[in-house]
Amino acid sequence: MAVNESGQRFHHAVYEKFEAVANFPGLDLLFTTADKVLTWGSQNSLWAFPMATSCCGIEFMATAASRFDTERIGTFTRGTPRQCDVMVVAGTITVKMAPRVRKLWDMMPEPKWCIAMGSCAISGDFYRDIYSVVPGVDTFIPVDVYVPGCPPNPDALLLGFKRLQEKIQARREGRWVEPDKRPIDGMRVPSIPRIGAPDRLPVFDQAQLHNVLHMDPDGRMLRPDAPPMPRPPEEDPE
Amino acid sequence: MPLPVPRPFQRPARGATRHVEVGGVRVPYELVVDPWPDPYLDLDAYDPDADLMPINWGPQHPSTHGVLRVKLFMDGEVCVKAVPYLGYLHRGVEKLCEKLSYAQVTPIVDKNDYVSPMMNELAINMAFEKLLGVEPPPRAQVIRTIFAEMQRVASHLLWLGTWAMDAGGALGGGATLFMYCFREREMILDLFEEVTGARFHYNTHTVGGNRHDLPGGWEEKAIRVLDHIESRLPEYEDFLRDNDIFLVRTRGVGRLDPLLAMEIGVSGPSLRASGVDHDRRRDAPYAAYDRVEVKVPVRDAGDALARYEVRMDEMRESIRIARELLQDVPAGPITALKPVKMPKAIKVATGRSAYVGIESPRGELGTFVIAQNERKTAHLPYRLKIRPPSFHAMALLPYLAPGATLSDIVVIAGSLDPILGEVDR
Repeated sequence: MAVNESGQRFHHAVYEKFEAVANFPGLDLLFTTADKVLTWGSQNSLWAFPMATSCCGIEFMATAASRFDTERIGTFTRGTPRQCDVMVVAGTITVKMAPRVRKLWDMMPEPKWCIAMGSCAISGDFYRDIYSVVPGVDTFIPVDVYVPGCPPNPDALLLGFKRLQEKIQARREGRWVEPDKRPIDGMRVPSIPRIGAPDRLPVFDQAQLHNVLHMDPDGRMLRPDAPPMPRPPEEDPE
Repeated sequence: MPLPVPRPFQRPARGATRHVEVGGVRVPYELVVDPWPDPYLDLDAYDPDADLMPINWGPQHPSTHGVLRVKLFMDGEVCVKAVPYLGYLHRGVEKLCEKLSYAQVTPIVDKNDYVSPMMNELAINMAFEKLLGVEPPPRAQVIRTIFAEMQRVASHLLWLGTWAMDAGGALGGGATLFMYCFREREMILDLFEEVTGARFHYNTHTVGGNRHDLPGGWEEKAIRVLDHIESRLPEYEDFLRDNDIFLVRTRGVGRLDPLLAMEIGVSGPSLRASGVDHDRRRDAPYAAYDRVEVKVPVRDAGDALARYEVRMDEMRESIRIARELLQDVPAGPITALKPVKMPKAIKVATGRSAYVGIESPRGELGTFVIAQNERKTAHLPYRLKIRPPSFHAMALLPYLAPGATLSDIVVIAGSLDPILGEVDR
């Protein structure tokens, strides 16, 4: 388990399972070949999980449908998180929906990637000052590729998938990949720092995990018997 | 207190339907005598021997058409109670609009009913025009009507494709119909893109007219596309009309009582499929609907099959209306006001309010606006309320789901065609 530049935990199944064996001299060649095959497979058969909440979901459907057809580049749409590699967050994420998105993200098996599709998922767009909207999905899950637009054209989403394939290939080759930046300049920084930002306190991650673990199935945020939520330390008044 | 017994799987009687007059409206008799299930069923008082199983459907489920969440209490395979939970897409649009001037609101409300953005723009701008007392020129009226009817076709195509995919292999082989419907929908989106420059969220209606004029040769191209789509419609019906599985899954499923529908405020195809002949395009014409004859398809059965038939007939009707208008688009300007450059340019007299309702693909889409009471902030609306048709359709689910099996509930919820962006706003 390692942490890459953008703060995402980077986990390789083959290496984790056979860590002791992999360090045996002479076996590198075999595992390098297996790694190559696995990377080739995963980048060319990205199963996409549409976390479709609003308008971008319709455009995602158009991308998956007959005219644009994501299956040409091996991206197949599947309705369950447990079988998918890429989560495409398409649409506005509200405060009520965010713990569910986080839960679905945690359900996905490693290795996994995330595409933020549309300006609502990137930054909240013009809803970012509204009391019920999360200003960008990267405040609670790590995002690999940003696809700007409102909603992005299907061509733009296809380009986003191609960009993700390039990133996967570059990571295998050990090349430096510049982490994607939010494609919006001069925007107000959200009050909660992004994942991987140096000023982000670990208590934010703990609070999100706490939300997911103690969620009430009846629709409220937390169960009544849940332990108190971890809070950031209070600053000195001086 | 007698325990409410779940309704068994019922089919409507074949043959002629009797009608009764209720409140001046002619409704089918057989649907009226059907008792409504209790949506507020007390589960503690339910049969203690029954092994009730709660099923959480949504908010992330492909067949909920968005982020709807329904808690279903199942007795065996039959649902006894359904509780919808809303608010997973609440974006505070109405509150946001109070901060924006009249010229800035249009692109915001585009995102409410994201399957038919043209309708949102039309409804909001008609309300502003009524507030200002501005009448758009005839060319703009006709263009708006053409856009609205083409958007209705596109919206119904998307509904048909997704509904067929929800019901799985029964409706024309899984994703087959979905692929076919999107093929035709893309043609309409291409036409809109040629006029407005956007596939989605057009921002083409303004206060007092339209922003974009039709490019040369667009009318002929649009007529060709509409002819093509009309020739494709029998292809979809061939998938479904003679398909026994489709008929079994939709006939008699989700029978909607017209009185219940009127009491809850349902409108649009769901109401017309229950035998109530109501359509704002014909009864209270707006835009250019007084120039054409609007025939309203009505069915009596009130089930999912009837809703499907009404929508298919509506598509044909919309194509006919759009084609009729496209053949004779009047010349002239497309805006009554000068093009707005500054957001504060539009100011409304104090103390005014207006309500406008239009017939969107899902029913009556209304907008209620109250102007400011101060001269200083006359460019901002004081309050803006949107009356979404999908919200009222969602209120039907606790009435329609009890007595249906789990697989039928997917078909019922799909046949009501809810758009959650509009429900939560």
